[in-house]
Amino acid sequence: MVIDLSSFYNVPRQMDRFFDEIWKPSMISQKRNAYPPVNISEDVSNIYVHLEMPGVQIEDVDITLSDGSLVIKGNRKHDTGNYYRQERPAGLFQRVINLNVPVDADKVKARMKDGILDIVVPKAEEAKPKKVSIEAE
Amino acid sequence: MTSEVQKREAQNLPRFSPSTDIIEKEDGFHIYMDMPGVTRENLSIDLQDTDLEISARPEFPRIENASNIHMEFGDCEYRRSFTISDVVDRNNIKATMKNGVLELYLPKAEKAKPRKIEIEAG
Repeated sequence: MVIDLSSFYNVPRQMDRFFDEIWKPSMISQKRNAYPPVNISEDVSNIYVHLEMPGVQIEDVDITLSDGSLVIKGNRKHDTGNYYRQERPAGLFQRVINLNVPVDADKVKARMKDGILDIVVPKAEEAKPKKVSIEAE
Repeated sequence: MTSEVQKREAQNLPRFSPSTDIIEKEDGFHIYMDMPGVTRENLSIDLQDTDLEISARPEFPRIENASNIHMEFGDCEYRRSFTISDVVDRNNIKATMKNGVLELYLPKAEKAKPRKIEIEAG
């Protein structure tokens, strides 16, 4: 973090931000290095992947599933003009998610809503837990 | 009572300052804010004199009975305020919410627009 005391940078705000970052809840990972941020959850039959990518057009996103990993590639476009402030990341991005279970590649579904990409990856039949019935003798 | 509880809950949420681009174009200023998960209904924009405050509660897709494996974003509150200068025509600010990005269009006031001065041939 750079602290510049000139009036151009809003120092009190930067301080606030610094402290805000310390007090962020531990549930949410503090490292925001990788883009886009991703949430992964699973239930018995599916793996759910949510990615935050506001402003990205559907046609600019490319999802590929290969060899046990899900690759999300995309491009966030710039607007042209005289920039006073630029905080929104722009350009090409890619994120790889490793899936440790066999999945049904043909039934993967993805949709985009309010800037959130929502991918549902169904687990393969053999990965689902099976009930073993015990026969009484 | 319920609203009080809701208020308390809202205060406990982590607050984020959404990433913002401010661009000046010929017709005025454009402010873009990244607010994934926000729809028109849960967004509020308040303009008081020169202070423009934007706040929103995003809604993320929630799946019943699913366990979280990895989390990088979650329930939060977006809030950010701006001070608008006199150059802006405050009565004609337009806002559009699309694809998780809020676009605010702040047209320049008539008096602030650059005017071309004709030179008369003497």
